[in-house]
Formats: sequence, structure tokens, C-alpha cells
Amino acid sequence: MSLEQFKNRNVGSQTYKMIESEPTPESGMGRFGQVVKRTFKGELFVGLYVTMREMINALFIGEMHTVKYPLEKLPISPRYRAIHDMLRLLESGHYRCIGCGLCEKICISDCIKMDTRYDENQRKEVSEYTINFGRCIFCGYCAEVCPELAIVHGGRYENASEQRAGFSLFEDMLTPIDALKDQKEFDGFGAVTPNADNAIKKTPLAY
Amino acid sequence: MTARKSETKMITVTIDGKSCQAELGETILQIARANGIYIPTMCYLTKVEPIASCRMCVVNVEGVDGLILSCQEKATDGAVITTNNEEIFKQRQNIMKLYDVNHPLECGVCDKSGECDLQNKTMEFDVDQQSFTAREQSRPVENWGFISYDPALCIMCEKCVHVCNEVIGDEALAISVGGYNSTIINTKQDQDCSQCGECMAVCPVGALVSTDFKYSSNAWELEKIPASCSHCSAACQMYYEVKEGSIDNPQPKIYRATNNYEFSSLCGAGRFGFDFENREASRDPDAFSRALDAFRKAETISFSGTISNEEALILQKFKEKSGVKLICDEVRGYQRFAEAFSSVTGTTLYHGDLKKLSQSKGVVVLGTRINDDAPMVKYHLTMASKRHRARIAYMHPLEDAAIQNIITQFMKYEVGSEEGVAALLAKTLLEGKAVPDEIRAYLDDLDIGNLSAESNIGEEELDKLKKSLWKKSGFTLVAGADLYGHPQAENIARLLGLIEHYSEFDVMLIPPATNALGVSLICDLDDSATGYTVGYNTTGDYVLSALGDGDLDMPALNQQEGTFSSVDKRVVPTHVALPYHGYVLNDILNALGFKERYTIGYTGKLPREKGFSSVVFDALPDYYDITGEEHRGYLLKSTAVEKDGRLEAVAALPAYDGAVLYQCNEGAQFSAFTHKTEQLKSDSRLKGSAQFATVAKLKEGDSVKFVLQGVAYQRVFTIDTSLKGTVAINPTFDRGLSSASVSYYRFSQPKLEKMDSKDE
Repeated sequence: MSLEQFKNRNVGSQTYKMIESEPTPESGMGRFGQVVKRTFKGELFVGLYVTMREMINALFIGEMHTVKYPLEKLPISPRYRAIHDMLRLLESGHYRCIGCGLCEKICISDCIKMDTRYDENQRKEVSEYTINFGRCIFCGYCAEVCPELAIVHGGRYENASEQRAGFSLFEDMLTPIDALKDQKEFDGFGAVTPNADNAIKKTPLAY
Repeated sequence: MTARKSETKMITVTIDGKSCQAELGETILQIARANGIYIPTMCYLTKVEPIASCRMCVVNVEGVDGLILSCQEKATDGAVITTNNEEIFKQRQNIMKLYDVNHPLECGVCDKSGECDLQNKTMEFDVDQQSFTAREQSRPVENWGFISYDPALCIMCEKCVHVCNEVIGDEALAISVGGYNSTIINTKQDQDCSQCGECMAVCPVGALVSTDFKYSSNAWELEKIPASCSHCSAACQMYYEVKEGSIDNPQPKIYRATNNYEFSSLCGAGRFGFDFENREASRDPDAFSRALDAFRKAETISFSGTISNEEALILQKFKEKSGVKLICDEVRGYQRFAEAFSSVTGTTLYHGDLKKLSQSKGVVVLGTRINDDAPMVKYHLTMASKRHRARIAYMHPLEDAAIQNIITQFMKYEVGSEEGVAALLAKTLLEGKAVPDEIRAYLDDLDIGNLSAESNIGEEELDKLKKSLWKKSGFTLVAGADLYGHPQAENIARLLGLIEHYSEFDVMLIPPATNALGVSLICDLDDSATGYTVGYNTTGDYVLSALGDGDLDMPALNQQEGTFSSVDKRVVPTHVALPYHGYVLNDILNALGFKERYTIGYTGKLPREKGFSSVVFDALPDYYDITGEEHRGYLLKSTAVEKDGRLEAVAALPAYDGAVLYQCNEGAQFSAFTHKTEQLKSDSRLKGSAQFATVAKLKEGDSVKFVLQGVAYQRVFTIDTSLKGTVAINPTFDRGLSSASVSYYRFSQPKLEKMDSKDE
């Protein structure tokens, strides 16, 4: 988009419309007359009517233009970047994180820290994982770099707290196992493209 | 040896249009690397002979059909070589495609990710898909103790096998050949290979990894602190890899120790025994003032050989200022030995070094259980054996099963007869050499028959040794700690001095403690302690200890910066790997009137007349160049001393009949510091043969008590079937502060007291 129309500051040459206004009264009588005129012009009742109409619509018809926050919340875009979620594998229920450490490495505010170890099943286990939300700038790099779509941005944007530093542990962010069926596949920042299946070339198998 | 072949022919080759000068006999790859020309390799490891399994290093030589393996092809004069063109690139790309077939895509968890040769070369040659296929089979992960092997990740470059056979000499790893099913097998898994970890160091992928380190950190998170290993006198190049501990305890922690595996090696103690730091230390002004009082009233300062050159110099300066006595039990014997040795050779230092040793054609090892005392020296023996088919004569009262594969002649002598053995050796090796008349007369006067009978070294054995060295050149005599504590140590030293001075043999005197060489050069040591004694890492009335059990804490050597003098006669730097919160020796001496802000301020003040250079610490180099040349610190200079050594008549050889104990820390244990580490196995049992058990009237599992030089030991006896004879091995590493007070002859006959079960 060209920025020219914004850079043109010569008033009058654009499509601006000048609002016609009455001249400001000079005398005291004139000012009094203006007040009286504006007071009894009937516009007041237009306003009262609009309010009454909306109240009736809201109370009896159920049409409302605002939401009852915090009881109600507006839906947000999947690309919104709020408090992180840790997802599970849908089949096994095991958490997806493999402990590769890429989110820790890429984090530009250095707020992710993880400990890993060799577990009994010969796998890399994430023994501890924290994000300091006092430092996190919600840039989304962690979700983008995650090779397993394990760490993603969720919709929990209410993170007011008494302290500046606020740590979340792995378990706090992980999908509860009983809520696994409600876990939504993430399609925000860092998710696979819709046509990813077509773009993949499969490894040949001889068997 | 190189000295004989000094007239090496120089050749000129053209590589990628660049004209390169080289010595005849160098391979194309060596010449290219020396001239900064890149040739990709997967299996090439500078410190072993070319493996030639990867074929990545192919080059084109003008006038030669087909591609040439640059790693093993020696360049000819005038050759014109192309290292890269479209055909070669395709070839290399195909090799990488084959390497990548079925390689598990687990870079996300693999320990090697980020420093992986396969990752790098896959990227370099643009392999982004797998177009071949192979049926994958089940290949379970194997645990070899300190080392884990994942065959699925293995690319069969064979570096590990070559390093295990050619450098370490364990001959534990082998290839199980089977095409795509080939794997590396550990043939000595049950007998416990020496667990040096060299195989996993050289592994270019994540197939061989440390069991302890596995999956605990990514390579890129660790900070590499360049250091020198502080466990023995080899002071090998190494890196401590440091990162904060964990989320709960963010104190920095050493995760692993690595080394510049391309050019140097590290033994198991260095690689797995890295966590000996003094964690608890803090600054307590009261304890500090008590330490100052102790130093003010001290008549003697006693210390261990595990100390940096700088601290040794601080103590020496303190002695010069206040007149205290300096005692270093571990080093005093060595110092006297080295002085007596120099009085015959006329130079302060011995002539042998590790590089010369690895190129020797004939080696005699005398008075040391080399595999346990100095693994790095043993590795160089292995190199001499494998590459130059060196004749290696091992002279010791105890046979060592671990080095049987590299020694060509084992000469068992009686315990205590080292002086006689040295005399016999001198006579044998100096036969036919031009020596002054008085020395010739001395040698001729030796009662060979008697010495031979008493020491049990037969004349035919000496003849065999003599014959095996016939028409060879490049010899080294390695002498070790058994000799330094011997009652006749000084005469032994003079006899070895004769060998160094008048024969073609270069002698190496292995220092018995980490910095025994440095201490022996810097400090003016006294023979016996008197009065109030301050002990530094050893026993005393007031104890400064890096083990954390003394009156004032001191930093361990991975928390200090400074230099060591190595067996290679090199002054090598080490750096601070972990923070230390307490006082250091320099603080105490500063409070007593010295003025040097940091301990390393003394590095440039090390005595020049003893061979040190006045290079400040921060100017010490610490690297290997591309050709493998070592640039760590600087070499000590040998200076001339007066040749006034007088040989004494060989004393009557003492007889050690019955059960004898040999002080020896086996395997990866060296001192109280290695004992403190988490991973290294501490087997502190008294080990002897069945014959020893009979003589000492002990059974497997018996507890025995005995006192050696005032240190009480309580040991469980076990029969080790690899041992023979009536000598048992008694370790000292678990004695804490008294581990370092070993000034005496390593063989001894204490009264063994069997303990009843209720005594325990």
C-alpha cells in the first residue's frame, strides 16, 4: 500500500469534509440563548429512547452488544499469543515435549528453563520446566520453533498478579489428562500449514 | 627416529591452484590442512593412522584415473590436486545420502546435536530427503558402564575402534562385520575395559555417549572452560563443561569433561572424575584469622603435590621470608632422585618426552605399574607398540595383565632389588658405548652374578633385551615412583643418569604427583617436619583443605587458575571452572605481607633459573594447531648443572620375604580428589593373589588392619586372579588428607592383623 495519501498534509486537497458549525455567541444573552436552544431541542429524548430500546432488547429480547466479562469472554483468534499451553499426544496421552531445548535456546527474554534426564524407559524426560511470565514478552518464538507442537500459545490472557515474577511449571500448562478429548489442535503461530500433507515427500519403503 | 632422518626431502604440490611446500611422506590431506585448504572427512582422526572407511576425502590428482583418498595417499612431488569439483561433490553427496539412510531423526533429544559431524555434513551436502531404503532392524541400546552405545545411531566410521586399539591399547572395541548390520562390539565388557571414554570422545555422532551425562544437557548450553587435568602429572588438555545445575539449585555445575580428541587423549579419571570441587566453602573472618595465627606460629608447612606452580612459589617465598620448613612427602623423594639424576647427566631435566616415547622403537619401563600410575604414558607406549612395533620391556615385581598386549618382554625382579636392576640395566645398555674409564671400571666391577641372582633378572633376559634393541634407534627408558622412595634412590638415579647420558636412551622420570615436577623445581623442600605444622591438603596441626574437611577451606584445582608442570616438561595453564566462595592461599599470604592481587600474578615470576619462562598467565597459549602441534603454555628449559655425581657401590639387596603390600591406586583412582568424585568407582579393597592369601593367612572377604607410616588402614581382602606372587595391592586414595603423605618405598611389609567380625 502506498503511503502517499497519508503523507499529504495539505488540508483541502484530500477528501476531508469540513463540519459546518454555528458561530460562537459573543454576548451573554447570546450564550444563554444557545443553552436554552440546545436543552429543549429534543435530542435529549432521542438519547433516552436509544438507551431504553437497548435496555429492553437486552432484558427481554436477549440481544446484547457487550459481554459480561469476566463471566463471558469474547472469542479470540488462534493466532493470539497468551499464556502457553503444553499439549499431549492425542493417541497415548503422553506429553508431546521431547526436551530438545530449542524453546529455551530461542527465547529472547531468557525466561524458559528446563531440566532433562535419562529416564527408565530410555527416553529423554523433562524433569522440570518453568516459564517466568514476568519476563515473557509473548513473542511466540517458542511455539514457532517447537518441532513437536508441544508448546503453543493458549488463550489465557489474564495474568495480573501481585508479583512481577510469575513462574509456571510444566504441569500448570499441560493439558489435564481428563481434558484430553477437549484438547484442540493448535493452528496459530508455528502450526503446520494447511497443505502440509501434500508438501511431504515420503521416505521410500521396500517392505 | 626423526633425528636420524633429518635429511627429509621437501616437495611441492599444487592443491586447488595453491602451491604448497611439504615434507615427503605427508599425505595429501595433511598438506591441505596445513595450508588451510578444506577437505571434508567423516572418519579421519588425526591422532590415529588413516581409517579410510568414509571415502569423503576423495580428491582428483591430475594424470591419475579415478578419485584418490587424500587421507592415506602420500603426495608426490609436483602433483596437481583438485579438492572439489562437481563430480567430487556428487560423490560426497552420495556418501552422505547413504550415511543418512534410516539414521534416526532424533536430533531433538540426541546428546550430540549441535556438535554432530553427521548433522554438519548433511547440511553441507544438501541432503534433505532419503531416496534409498533399507529394512531397519531392532538394535537395542547397550550399556557399557560409563559409556552407552546406541547402534542405531552408529555410522560405522570406526574411529572408536582405532583409538581403542591404537592409542589406548585396551583392544576392547571391535567391529562385528555384517554389511548393513555391522556394529561396534565391546569384547571386554565383562572384564571391564579401562573405561577411559576415549571412544565416546571421538564418536562423531551420538552413538557413544556418557551414561551419566546422557540427556542431561544440550551441547550448546555448556560453557567450555579450557583446563589441564589435575589428577596426575600428565596434566592433559581438557575442557570442563559448565552450566547452571538445575532449576531448584542454579549453582554452576560441571556436567562433563571433554578434550581436544582430534589431537590429544584423556584417561577415565580426567573424563569422569571432574566433580571434586570444594562446594561448601564460605568466607568466615574468624576462621581466616585463626589461619593467619597458624601461619605465624608455623614451623613447618606441609603440602601435597596436587598444587599449582604458583601456590608452590607462594609457599617457597613464604619460606624465604619467614624461614619455615617446607615438607612435601609426595615430591621430596622425586626431587632428590631428580637431583641425583641431574648430577650425572649435567642438565636439570630428563630428555624423554611423550612424543619421543610414542615414536620410540624400544622402551624399557622400570619401577612403575604404568597402567595405573600414568595412563597417558601407557597410551604413548601403546602408540609406540602399534605404530612402530616397539620392543617394550616391562620391569616390575608385579605382572600387569592389562598391558600384556603391548609389552614384548616382562622382566620380573624381586621386591627391593631396584638398585641391582638399575645397575644391571646400566651395564647392559652401556655395553660397547664410549664411557669414561672410571665409569667403565665401576660397571665392570659389578658382581653381575650376584645381582642377577638377588634381583632375579637373568643374564639371558638381559641378553634378550639387548638383542631386541639391536639395529634399532629411538629408545626411551620410563622410570616411575617405585624408585623415588627406595632407600638407595639416589644411586639408582645416578645409574639411570648414566644410561641417559652415555647411551641412546632418553629417560623419562614420571612425576609421582600432579605437579611433582613443578614443586621439585620451585620449592626448596626439607626432609622432616618439626614443631607446629600447617598442612595444605595433607595432615598437620592446622589444616587447609580443598577436600572440605580441614580447618580452613581451600579451592580444589577445578576452582583455581594457575599452571602445572607436566611429565612432558611443559608448563600448562588451567582455568577456573567453578566459582569458589572462600579464601585462597594467596589471601593468607597477602594478609601476612605479600602483595600480589591474584595467585596468577606469580606465573610470570616462576624461577627462570629453574627453566621457567617469565610469561604472564594471560599470555600463555592453550591450543593445538591444525597439524596437531601442541601450543599449551611453554616448555621448561633444561639448564646445565654441575656434573659431580659419584656412583656408590650397589648396596646389599634387601630381601622381602613373605607377604608384601604395594601402595598403588588402581584404575581411574589417583588421589583423595578422584575418590571424592561421583562417578569413579572406588574399590578400596586389598587385592592379592591366591598365593598372597596363603602366605598372609587370609581368606576372601577377611578384614585386616595394618599401620603404614603412621596411617592406620582397615581393609577388606579380596583375591584377584589376575595377580601372581606374594605382593598385594593396597590403595591409598581413600585416606583423605593422609593420602598425600606417601614418602616411603611403595613396597612394605606391615604387620597384618586379622580382625574378628565383632571388631568391625
